[in-house]
Amino acid sequence: MTGDIVEAMRLLGAGLAMLGAIGAGVGVGLAAAGGVQAMGRNPDAAPIIQTNMILGMAFAEAVAIYALAVALIIIFAA
Amino acid sequence: MSETATKKRVPVKRWIILGLIALGIYAAFLGPTYLRPVAPVVVLPSEPTGISIFGFEITNTILATLLADIVLLLLAFNAWRFAKSGNLVPSGVHNFFEMLVEAFWNMAEGSAGKWAKRFFPITGTIFLLVFTANMIKLVPGFESIGRIAESPHGEGYAPIQILPGLYSIDKGKPVHLEHTESEGETHAVEGEVAGSPCTACEIIPFLRGSATDLNFTLALAVVTVVMVQVFGVMAMGPGYFEKFLQFRRLVNGGPFGIIDFLVGFLEIILEFAKIISFTFRLFGNIFAGALLLSIIGALTAVAIPAGLYIFEVFFGIIQAYVFSLLALVFMSQAVAGHHGGEAEGAEAH
Repeated sequence: MTGDIVEAMRLLGAGLAMLGAIGAGVGVGLAAAGGVQAMGRNPDAAPIIQTNMILGMAFAEAVAIYALAVALIIIFAA
Repeated sequence: MSETATKKRVPVKRWIILGLIALGIYAAFLGPTYLRPVAPVVVLPSEPTGISIFGFEITNTILATLLADIVLLLLAFNAWRFAKSGNLVPSGVHNFFEMLVEAFWNMAEGSAGKWAKRFFPITGTIFLLVFTANMIKLVPGFESIGRIAESPHGEGYAPIQILPGLYSIDKGKPVHLEHTESEGETHAVEGEVAGSPCTACEIIPFLRGSATDLNFTLALAVVTVVMVQVFGVMAMGPGYFEKFLQFRRLVNGGPFGIIDFLVGFLEIILEFAKIISFTFRLFGNIFAGALLLSIIGALTAVAIPAGLYIFEVFFGIIQAYVFSLLALVFMSQAVAGHHGGEAEGAEAH
């Protein structure tokens, strides 16, 4: 019984850890919004903007990746 | 003119597609139970395939990586032979290669300048390997054909014999080994497969996407970050490590020198964070994609997975691109030095 509760709490904790993905989602969305806006205003600079936009998205995504790492550690390792 | 052209065309492809959809519906809902989609099993570590070379066990992700390597080598040989032939106008796959090389060369030259010649082979190799591994993962047969084995969790499916020596698992008959009576029941029902290798079975695939294994992505990340340090030292000599241990700032920097010295330790942590984020970005995206495909495939077997496959192709390309782009940016930062950053810090103070 207690083992079941510990297991349930562990899964809950893994789910809660993934709350970190909210911020990353907002960040990626903002990066995409800014990038598209910039490309709309200055279509000639689209390749440079696109590269930097994808770079910024990758960095914003890193937070979600750390959350994923924590969740995986909670489920499989801890 | 166009009227006759459209009339002459025989609509073969749409019938083929409709036939495939009908086949999918038959297999998923009406046909024998061993054709039905199976609820996915989440397995994080790669599973051994049973093949071993010199005592070194080949797991299914290694096998998939080797397959990707072979495909890449064949493509590279093809491109090399074309370059040797002296023909200047590429076509087909050569065209694709020329476009790829040109795009990556321009990217490297744009952000690294004279170092582009050194960076281009590394970023190009990373892109090609990750791209090929991600594309090859989507070929049917990956993650579905394998050897049948006893499930370690005690929850599996009853085996069913399709051909002599060729088994599948019967998705209509889940088996839980904790309850001995259900085990006996399946034995009674499956009288003809008494010689089957297991009672509660699952399929261990021979091939699994390379990037669904942490070892693959970790190896790429470590190589990349080590190469960043190597290029930093090549560009600035031992002075590169001043970025991490800023003794000079500590001695003559005054009170802000201490802060800069501590920031140096943050830089060390940042290098390890690079490895972690490289590793888990690729792994997380590809693993989540594979999981999504199998879960959606188990829920709605017919139409929706096709759309998700397009999504997966897109993500495979994007992740390969992001990996090589970030490698390029980190390398460019390393050779550009930290003088710009220092000046910025001085202004801020």
